[in-house]
Amino acid sequence: MGMLGSRKQAVDARSRISVALERLQTAQLRLAMGALIVMIGVTVADVCLRYLLGKPIYGAYDIVESCLVVFVFHGIAAVFLNRRNIVIDLADSVVGHRMTTALIRLSDVLSVVLLSLLVWAMIAPAVQAFQYGDRKLELGLPVYILWIAALAGLLGTILCALGALIGRATTVSRQQSI
Amino acid sequence: MSPQLIGGIGVCGLFSLLLIRVPIWAALILAGFLGNVALNGVGPALATLGTIPFDTASLYGLSVIPLFILTGSIASETGLSAELFKAARVILSGLRGGLSLATIGASACFGAVCGSSIATAATMTRIALREMRSAGYGDALSTGSIAAGGSLGILFPPSIILVIYGAIAEQSVPKLFAAGLIPGLVLTALYMIVALVVARIRPSDAPAVKSAGIRHRLSALTGPWQFMALFIVTIGGIYAGIFSPTEAASIGAFGAIMLGFVGRALTKQELVSSIESAVITSSALFMIIIGANLFSNFMVQTQLPALLANAAGSLALPRMMVMVAIIVAYIIMGCFLEGIGMMLITVPVFLPLIRQYGYDPIWFSIIVVIVIEVGLIHPPVGMNLFVIQAQAPEIKITSIYRGIVPFLAAPLIMIILMFLFPQLALWLPKMLYR
Repeated sequence: MGMLGSRKQAVDARSRISVALERLQTAQLRLAMGALIVMIGVTVADVCLRYLLGKPIYGAYDIVESCLVVFVFHGIAAVFLNRRNIVIDLADSVVGHRMTTALIRLSDVLSVVLLSLLVWAMIAPAVQAFQYGDRKLELGLPVYILWIAALAGLLGTILCALGALIGRATTVSRQQSI
Repeated sequence: MSPQLIGGIGVCGLFSLLLIRVPIWAALILAGFLGNVALNGVGPALATLGTIPFDTASLYGLSVIPLFILTGSIASETGLSAELFKAARVILSGLRGGLSLATIGASACFGAVCGSSIATAATMTRIALREMRSAGYGDALSTGSIAAGGSLGILFPPSIILVIYGAIAEQSVPKLFAAGLIPGLVLTALYMIVALVVARIRPSDAPAVKSAGIRHRLSALTGPWQFMALFIVTIGGIYAGIFSPTEAASIGAFGAIMLGFVGRALTKQELVSSIESAVITSSALFMIIIGANLFSNFMVQTQLPALLANAAGSLALPRMMVMVAIIVAYIIMGCFLEGIGMMLITVPVFLPLIRQYGYDPIWFSIIVVIVIEVGLIHPPVGMNLFVIQAQAPEIKITSIYRGIVPFLAAPLIMIILMFLFPQLALWLPKMLYR
């Protein structure tokens, strides 16, 4: 009964973590989607105003660049949680199921390590951007704000990558391409 | 240890990581980072690792990637491809193999607003396969036409692969888009010729469909007006110098959404799902581009490409032989590696060599895209073949393999034509952007 109870608790904890990560991923995905919509809206409005009224939107270029940062660093959370990274899955047909699972786990661990390394490496230039007061040319937006957005996105992504690591090693979305 | 040797170890390490199923972005970053550590020490390597992701993700030019992917995703949802196929089917009716030709033609047109090979193949499977089978077409010819036609999506502008090539090779995206158009049209014609030849050799696989009248054919031309509007505004706008690629992509995405809503072909839910899908696909691509930039930075420092060029020079290899060797290497790699990954891994190594031998990087971009196309349809791992099989599991993969084999001749002939007439790729960019 004791063992059953602790197993149930572990399952409950796992499902609570899954739900929390799912929410985190959804929030980050929505943010990335919002950034994409802003990119479209601003660019279309800029083009229309430029050609129709001769008055382009000041800072449209900066807005698109800033939104792209938010888009990339928050959009990748869903990629990691849903294992949508592009892989060459030739090994799957050569090695057995257990070996494939082990390789997936290895990739999961490597992903978490590399994402953490990225965050660590990005802190120094982010601090420099703050100290030197770097700003976007047209909007004057402090660049460190974008660094913070990028780092926040990556931290969420690390959590999602950890979620994939503790979840099942699936090969559902083995390979995607353009 | 010499930088070149470190570079060689880096390349081998990268391929080893890819073979053991490490995601492409992670393999590129790991090889690039460790290579930089070996060359410059931990401090400078960390500095490079810290700045490249942010710099890449804030490049205005790369914003076209999610925007064009979204346009393609919405075009798939709104049934644009169905209109194209319907029109092509009527126009080419009465011709033996006409449905195959219609599939290839509609795929080429759809690729011209979608920019994605996989999306084109997936969409055309849904639309054309059932129609061809019910008209009595053989599975091999049907699937071969869809797979081959689908691969055209990455050659016609707005090709996502050309945008990424532009970022890595520092080439103008409008020029690359202009370079892809004529080879795209020629390759479409070559695929159609193959379909006609197959239909002639195996008439039972391609029964003639009842011919439509002239009036019906003319009215069919107006069916895909939405496609024409999107293509003229976006790609026409880039060619005419009215819009930058990002502007054209935004207008394309906005236009596709509006056309979808006005025509009641797009629901709010479908729009949300299209945007979600565009975010996930583009973000995965961005991670690879970040990795490729880091790896490319490492490659440049190793001077490995220069070593390769010197080696080719010392062997006194003719210019043409070097290029043929590169193409053969691409075709072999394409049998095993995913297209974008292959391009991002190899372009930093091959491009300096190409330049040294006097080849135009724009011409080379089209060659790279064509060999990637071959990889997309080449057994055993051509992605387009799997996309078709995933949607039509009742068709045996061996039948799909059999169907695609004759079509492989077309891109190979196209590569020969590109050697004989480089102006196929270079004339239009020169005309438009003197």
